Amino acid sequence: MKAEHVKSSNAEMGIGEKAFESTAGQAEKLDLKHPDAVLSLLEADQVVAAKQRMHFGRRKLSVGVRMLLWGLRIYVVAMLVIVLISAFRAIHSAP
Amino acid sequence: MKRSKKDSPAPSFGPAHPTTDVAAASPIAHDLAGLLTHEDVDRARDRWRVSRARWAERRSKILGRFSVLWLLVGPGVLVFLGENDAPSMLSYSATGARFGIGFFIPFVVLTFAMGLVVQEMTVRLGAVTHRGHAELIFDRFGQFWGFFAMGDLVIGNFLTLVTEFIGIRAGLGFFGVRPIVAVGVGLAVVFAAITTGRYWTWERITMGLAIFNALFVPAAILAHPNWAAVGRSLLTWSPLPHGNSFDILLLILADIGATVTPWMIFFQQSAVVDKGMQPRDIGAGRFDTALGALLAATFGVAAILATVPLFHHGIDASQFEAAQFAEALEPWIGHIGATLFALGIFEAGIVAAIAISTSSAYAFGEVFQTGHSLNRPLREAWPFYSTLLGSACAAAALVLIPHALLEFIVLIVNVIAVLAMPPALAFLLLLVNDREVMGDQVNGFWENTAAIAVTVALICAGLGFGVATVIHMS
Repeated sequence: MKAEHVKSSNAEMGIGEKAFESTAGQAEKLDLKHPDAVLSLLEADQVVAAKQRMHFGRRKLSVGVRMLLWGLRIYVVAMLVIVLISAFRAIHSAP
Repeated sequence: MKRSKKDSPAPSFGPAHPTTDVAAASPIAHDLAGLLTHEDVDRARDRWRVSRARWAERRSKILGRFSVLWLLVGPGVLVFLGENDAPSMLSYSATGARFGIGFFIPFVVLTFAMGLVVQEMTVRLGAVTHRGHAELIFDRFGQFWGFFAMGDLVIGNFLTLVTEFIGIRAGLGFFGVRPIVAVGVGLAVVFAAITTGRYWTWERITMGLAIFNALFVPAAILAHPNWAAVGRSLLTWSPLPHGNSFDILLLILADIGATVTPWMIFFQQSAVVDKGMQPRDIGAGRFDTALGALLAATFGVAAILATVPLFHHGIDASQFEAAQFAEALEPWIGHIGATLFALGIFEAGIVAAIAISTSSAYAFGEVFQTGHSLNRPLREAWPFYSTLLGSACAAAALVLIPHALLEFIVLIVNVIAVLAMPPALAFLLLLVNDREVMGDQVNGFWENTAAIAVTVALICAGLGFGVATVIHMS
C-alpha cells in the first residue's frame, strides 16, 4: 500500500492523524474495555493479532547481496578463530 | 521449539505493508476487535497518554513538549546507558589508567556518535513496522540467514551477560559482599523488574537504575582532572597513545565494542515496538537516542578521567578487575570516590544484565512466534520470561563456578561484539533501505553514507586487529 493511499484512507474515514489525536487527547477518561477504544489508539499493524497474521514476505536476494552476506559471514568466522587463538595465548602467557 | 506459523490457526489478513492507518479505520477492524490481548490494551493506554500530552502541547508548548518527550524517552536512554556496562566501564577505566588524557577521550565520543547513527535506524524500523529486528530478518531473509544472525546475538549476549555478573560481583566485592550474595542480588533485581507485567513500569524502574551510571561523574571530579588538557584533547585528538601497537589496537577495539554492539540493535527496536511508538514519534525517538548517547558518552569519559591518577603515578592497571580499580584509586580520589566507582561498576552490571537478558528474550519470542512483550503477564508469556530469567541465571551460575574461564570471557567479549557488528549492520542497512518495509521512512543519502562509513570503519578495525594478531603471533 502506498503512503498516499494510507493518507487518503484516513481522510476518508475522518480520522486523520491530527483529528484523531485531538479526540483521544480530549478524553479525560478512556474505557479500554471497549475494543473500539483500543483500536482507535493503535495503528492497524500494531495490534498483536494483526502482526501474527500479517508478515512481510521474503525479499529476493540479488547475487550482490548474497555475496555481501557470505563475505561478512566468512569474515566473522575467520576473525573469531584469530580472537580465540590470541586470547588463549594471552591467558597462557600470563604470569 | 520450531519456528512455525501453524500456531496461528486464524486466516491471514494478507501481506504486511508500511501503514499509518488507525486500527479502528482498517478494513480488518471488526476481526481485530475480537482478538485483542492484554498487551494491546496496555499499549493503547500508553498511546492515550501520549495523545493527551500532544493535546496539552497545543495549550502549553513547553510543558506539553516536555510531557511528550517524558512519555516517549526510554529505549534510547536505556540502550546507551545499558551499553555503558561493566566490561565497557572497565575498558574506559583501563584506557584512562594506561594512556591518561589524550586521543582516547575524543575517540570515545566518536564511538558514541557511531552508535547514534546505528541506533537511530532501529527507532525508524521499530516505529514504522511495529516488529522486532529478529522478526524482520526472519521475514525478509528467511530462516537460513535468520539463524546466523541469531547465533551471533545469542553467543554475544550470553558472554556479555557473564561479564555483567562479573561486574556485579566485583562491584559489591569492594564492600566485602560475598560473590554468591552479590550475584543473588543481581538476579533479584532482574526478576523484580519483570514482575510488573507492564513495559512502562519496567522501563521507568530500569531508567531509574541506569541514571546511577552518573556516579562516575563525581568520581572523575574527585580525581581533579586537568580540564584544560581535557579540552585540548577533544580539539586536537592528542597526545596520541604510545607503546605496544597491539595493545593499543586491542583497546581501540574494546572501546568500539563498548559502544556499538549487536544486542543494542535488537534491544532498541524491540523496545520501541513494545513501547508502542508510531511513525509520528520518530522525532522524539531520535531525541531519546541522542540523549542516551550524550549521557553515556559523558559517563564513559568520566570513567576515563576517574582513573587518570593511576596513569600519572605509573601504576600498572593492565591486570586490574573492577574492584581492584576502586581499591587502587582510593589513595587519590578518597574512600568516597572509590566507593562511587565501585557502586558505578555494580550499577553498570545490573542495568546491562536487565537490558541484555531482555534483548535475548525479545529475539527468542520474535523468532519462535511466542508472546514477547513486557506488557504480558508472566503466566501468558512464560517462554519469554523464562528465556529472560534463564539466560540471566545461567550467566550468574557460570560466574560462581570456581576456575571458570572468566578472564578469557572478559578479554574477548568486546572484541567479539565488534567482529559480529558488520553482519548485523548489513541486515540493518538492507532492512532500512527496503521500501516495502519502510515506505517513506527509508534511509536517505546522508543516513546511508554515515551508516556505510560506520560499517567500513568497524570492518577495518576488525581486520586491523586480525593482521596485528597474526604479526604478533609470528
